[in-house]
Amino acid sequence: MTKKKQVESVAAVAESVAIETVPMEDLKASLEEIKGYDGVIGYILRNSTSAAIDLKDPSKLIEYAILSSSSIDAGEELSELFNLGDVKHIVIGGKNIKVLSLAFGENKISVFLEKNADLEKVLEKLQSFRG
Amino acid sequence: MLDKEVYSIALKDTLDEMRNACPDIQNAFIFTETGEILAGDAETPEKVMVRVIDAFDSITERAEAIGGIETITIEGDKGTVTLSRFGENYLITVTSEKADMKYVGTLTRVLIPTVLKVLEKLSPTPTKKPSHMPAETAAEVETEIEPLEVKEEPVEEHAEEAEIEEPSEEVQPKPEPAEPTPETLPMEPQATQLIVENLGGLLVPSDTVRIDSEMLSEWENTFGGKPVELVDIETFDGKTLRCKVKPIKDSKYNGKGVVQMPEKVQLTLEIKKGELVRVKPVFE
Repeated sequence: MTKKKQVESVAAVAESVAIETVPMEDLKASLEEIKGYDGVIGYILRNSTSAAIDLKDPSKLIEYAILSSSSIDAGEELSELFNLGDVKHIVIGGKNIKVLSLAFGENKISVFLEKNADLEKVLEKLQSFRG
Repeated sequence: MLDKEVYSIALKDTLDEMRNACPDIQNAFIFTETGEILAGDAETPEKVMVRVIDAFDSITERAEAIGGIETITIEGDKGTVTLSRFGENYLITVTSEKADMKYVGTLTRVLIPTVLKVLEKLSPTPTKKPSHMPAETAAEVETEIEPLEVKEEPVEEHAEEAEIEEPSEEVQPKPEPAEPTPETLPMEPQATQLIVENLGGLLVPSDTVRIDSEMLSEWENTFGGKPVELVDIETFDGKTLRCKVKPIKDSKYNGKGVVQMPEKVQLTLEIKKGELVRVKPVFE
């Protein structure tokens, strides 16, 4: 491989990484903004090395964390099983609370909302990271 | 048994009609909150249904924190998987990316509850069976086992014992006790369908599987209090293996209709986690 081709290849890889990996700090800033929306009761943002959690009712932290992780795992497994392609998002509709989960590369997000909160507004804000 | 068949057939027809009305619905099936598959469309293999139920299991287990599940939607680039709750039943639909989700939603929200209500009125809810056992399969198992119960050989040996243990109103007044009836006969060990779960760890014996302690107790009680130490495991490909059995230690698997198996047993039977096997107690 010539030096020019090597440079092009590295540049292409760097670009692809830049698209897939959204900095955690950017996501966190957005989630802080989302937390101010009507009916949003908290969020969990995590990757393999760190996590940021902000919930109005911390007593449910473990249940919410498991729901978050289970929903993303289920999304990956069922996407593979039914050939759904990349998972855009997962929505769990509970009787009292809704959970919206998304993955941006290794960063995984779950936003917890009251049943009547505007899910589309939150989704729109987070989808903007996909470009 | 007829009720279960009617229930299952009616639901299966409904799912098929739903797919005819909306071809963008690629897969559809219904299961209960205990994980029992009630009916599935012709295109969805049972193994796939079991995997889907397992995938949603960890979510539904923790759903109390959000007041219980009503819907779950997984949206991908090429399609969507939706779980919708109807009373004690869950409907799974898999739709293509072209599907009009509003139409699909309306169709399912109108059709399924209506059919379920009609069925409830026409026939009682099917009795509970072990998790993930489809109603039709359950009916087949019962059909297979009935002839075994009417074997003539053990009747004379055990008829007296059976009458003492279970003084049935139907049996006592009969003037001709020599005529064998299923109620008076000793039961044959009955195969139960269970889902394979992994069993790992440093001190795990490679020839021992683990089953729900309640199931082991039931077997023991049914067969004269004899402890169940061995089971025969049969795969749907016809491979069989006799293993030692012990109760499941991990409480999260209790009541889930699973059999925990060490890797060696799975390799021997050529199966893996999530697959269905038939497990039958062995009394030697």
